[in-house]
Amino acid sequence: MELLTIENLSFTYPLCSTPAVTDVSFSVKKGEFVSICGATGSGKSTLLRLLKRELAPLGERSGQVYLDGTSQEALSADQAARSIGFVMQRPEHQLVTDKVWHELAFGLENMGTPQSVIARRIAEMASYFGIEDWFEKNVTELSGGQKQLLNLAAVMIMNPKILILDEPTAQLDPIAASDFIATLRKLNRELSLTILIVEHRLEEVIPISDRLLVMEKGRLLAYDEPRAVIEGLKEKPELLCAMPAAARLYHAVQGTGECPLDISEGRAYIQANFGNQIRRLPDKVDGSGKPGAVGIVTESGKPGAVGIVAESGKSGAVGSAAESEKSGAAGSAVGIAAESGRTKTGENAIQTGRIGRAAKSDKTALELENVYFRYGKHLPDVLHGLNLKVYENEIFCLLGGNGSGKSTTLSASAGLLKPYSGKVRVFGKRLKEYKNQSLYRECLTMLPQDVQTVFLKNTVREELEEAKAEVSMLPFDITCLYEKHPYDLSGGEQQLVALAKVLATKPKLLLLDEPTKGLDAHAKLGFIRIMKELKAKGMTIVAVTHDVEFAALCADRCALFFRGNVVSDGVPADFFSENHFYTTSAYRMAGDYYDRAVTIEEVAALCRLNRKEAIQPGWKGMSSAAGKHGAEKMAEAGKMTEAGKTEEAGKMAEEEKTTGATERTGGSR
Amino acid sequence: MRTIAEYNPFAVTVYFLAVAGTTMFSMNPVILVLSLAGALSYFFVRNGFREMKSHLAFFLMFLFMALLNPLISHNGVTVLFVMNNNPVTLEALVYGIAAAAMILAVLYWFRSYSQIMTSDKLLYVFGVLSPRLALILSMAIRYVPLFGSQVKKVNQAQKALGLYKEDNLVDSFRGGVRVFSVMVTWALENGIITADSMTARGYGSGKRSHYSTFCFRRGDWILMGISCVLLIVTWIGLGDFTFNYYPALKVSALQKTGLIGCISYGLLAFLPVIIEEKETLKWNCLQSKI
Repeated sequence: MELLTIENLSFTYPLCSTPAVTDVSFSVKKGEFVSICGATGSGKSTLLRLLKRELAPLGERSGQVYLDGTSQEALSADQAARSIGFVMQRPEHQLVTDKVWHELAFGLENMGTPQSVIARRIAEMASYFGIEDWFEKNVTELSGGQKQLLNLAAVMIMNPKILILDEPTAQLDPIAASDFIATLRKLNRELSLTILIVEHRLEEVIPISDRLLVMEKGRLLAYDEPRAVIEGLKEKPELLCAMPAAARLYHAVQGTGECPLDISEGRAYIQANFGNQIRRLPDKVDGSGKPGAVGIVTESGKPGAVGIVAESGKSGAVGSAAESEKSGAAGSAVGIAAESGRTKTGENAIQTGRIGRAAKSDKTALELENVYFRYGKHLPDVLHGLNLKVYENEIFCLLGGNGSGKSTTLSASAGLLKPYSGKVRVFGKRLKEYKNQSLYRECLTMLPQDVQTVFLKNTVREELEEAKAEVSMLPFDITCLYEKHPYDLSGGEQQLVALAKVLATKPKLLLLDEPTKGLDAHAKLGFIRIMKELKAKGMTIVAVTHDVEFAALCADRCALFFRGNVVSDGVPADFFSENHFYTTSAYRMAGDYYDRAVTIEEVAALCRLNRKEAIQPGWKGMSSAAGKHGAEKMAEAGKMTEAGKTEEAGKMAEEEKTTGATERTGGSR
Repeated sequence: MRTIAEYNPFAVTVYFLAVAGTTMFSMNPVILVLSLAGALSYFFVRNGFREMKSHLAFFLMFLFMALLNPLISHNGVTVLFVMNNNPVTLEALVYGIAAAAMILAVLYWFRSYSQIMTSDKLLYVFGVLSPRLALILSMAIRYVPLFGSQVKKVNQAQKALGLYKEDNLVDSFRGGVRVFSVMVTWALENGIITADSMTARGYGSGKRSHYSTFCFRRGDWILMGISCVLLIVTWIGLGDFTFNYYPALKVSALQKTGLIGCISYGLLAFLPVIIEEKETLKWNCLQSKI
């Protein structure tokens, strides 16, 4: 049964020549979970708003929207408000009242519902959403995740037929975001609620979606089951980069057969289609020209055997040799050590970390020594004897849960908060010695979490002129945004303008607080590229982030923050391969199959290296255990690898080299 | 089994208006003494003898006000001494003490009241009067701290950009003005989101009702009843028990009605303490039985 039908919907904003939404028609059945994706400015939000009469923007529109067979215009005010629930991006600004219970009651109060009915509905909602514990609280005391959950509950209390969400998790940390999405899934499955959601975090949304709608330049590009849609996205890298890790891997290895969508499917897919004779990519030679330890680790190799290329490692060896030549380390001893991949200990990892670091710089850019900080006399320590060193010209990512003190560390480093004990040194000088704001001139600067706080003017141009920014020197182009108001920009654009303003002080040390919050996948990739270019210009970057994928792609070193202190650090490959929970999707898929492969590109490279191994009979057991990918699929995959074998083998070394190089040494070019 | 803080906010408000209102409009020393004693004892029963520094400040304020009056006002017939050719009179001194006691008593009543009346209770009281007003207040209460914290964030962000120069007063003032102007934009911009969220949930589609987590129980009616009865008895009783400060101190003879008035105000002033102690006793009693 069609609950929502959209017929030839077009919409043009006033004073715009091109329509924001062009001739969109689709229908949603009752109980369906529909995800909507598309690049920034592709008309997703406009489309969603057109579906909710109260929020429809002003402009020229044509076409029809039917809700349960009734035209949108024919609904009464009461019905229109009740039947479609709408949750937006910024959690705190959607809240209307000061108390949690009042927020829940708000919608029903507007309907003039009697008190006894409100009381019953509130009780029901509070129990269902687990709000009882903070029912009496002020909304300002809630965390971002709780606020957004409250927004959802406050909408659900009106018992809507359709729930529409516009990037609801963009401002949340990953854990709160997956809780939120899990709640949506629960609502969809248990109450067969129809859900339309626009999301950046497709990793978690797509596996639970019944349908995926793709928008491009205001037009509907595809509307079908997620697998079918993703398979059709081969030619659209800018859309593909937002897809779940498993799907990206599938495309990166030019996969055939059914596209995997979530981690467990991705894992099964790798194990069904690729061997793991080569467990590890050859280490990169360090960008500074000094040779690092280049080693190929194979599972079959024996510890201590030096100079042995294991039987399956042939192509890998070619790859590494090619690479060491390229990076100009000719003549340097390239030791190919084969050791058991499983004996790599934490000590080893730290060793590797030191090698990577020593090759760059021994000078510290930022050093915190035994730093203690608390927000109030009677409050607990937020930073508890923190010791941290960031070396010059590296990208350092500080990861950790909410409230572990990451942002506090950043503020303390920037001199915005004063620790009650301990020393903070920036480029070897204590913060106190930077007199008269000299710290903030050509030395250190910070990009805050909420980039809106950076803007003071009415247009981007004024903003940049005020800060005396040299736009031509920037590694990105924002001239097209000049006449816009900073608040009107998309999350990614705001980030870039704020970055331009921040860089105007010509800092040597750049502090970033959650730089990828609210960015879509494409913008995030762009941001990573910019970070690497800034590093190449000699800048040191410290980023506090929840985003493990960002850290894996971007960082030279990562550290895990817990209860006011750093508990582990290392280069991303070691750092993420030692973690089991706090790690990237790629490592979750391939973790116990390949070693030190923490990004999709690395896993894809390993898959390609292992592809020529035809599927052996013994593998069948494993693949059937994988569930969905049955024998039929196995055979198909087998054919594919067989066919691609000869040409693949030739390409392999080259491919591996390029992906590897852009991946990890890209920044030091 | 509840202290006065747990009674229905409306009943609590009626009680506090009765007890503090009487104090405000009466300069009768007996009433003032009773009121001050009641207010202080209730405050100490609620909070214990903590943070005595704040009490010291109140006491100093009391002294200041009591001593200020005789220095300004020279009415009265009993001259105590002459200072700078101005007579300092006993009447003015007593009046000063009475006025200071009145202010102090009212302040202490409202200190307790503001502790009891959290924002949601205050809103409930207003909500009974007008649901729309209650909503506006609720939004305002939420918005003020939100605005404040955003100002702080902007200030920090700008500081880290090096756009503030702390050593220059003019510069930091100009910085403040810029931050304020952008905050207006911020408030309007995000106000649109709030407005969207409100219309999306049907605000303005019809008559609003008002929901609250409070309800009237028998005890609330009793509290309100007692407060009103004691208030009326007090005012009738005190009708002919007058006290004049100027030109000379003069008390009218204390008659039966006056006495009843005083007793009834005493009961009113000590009502919260009585309720509180009764509950403690009852609780101890119950506990000893368990």
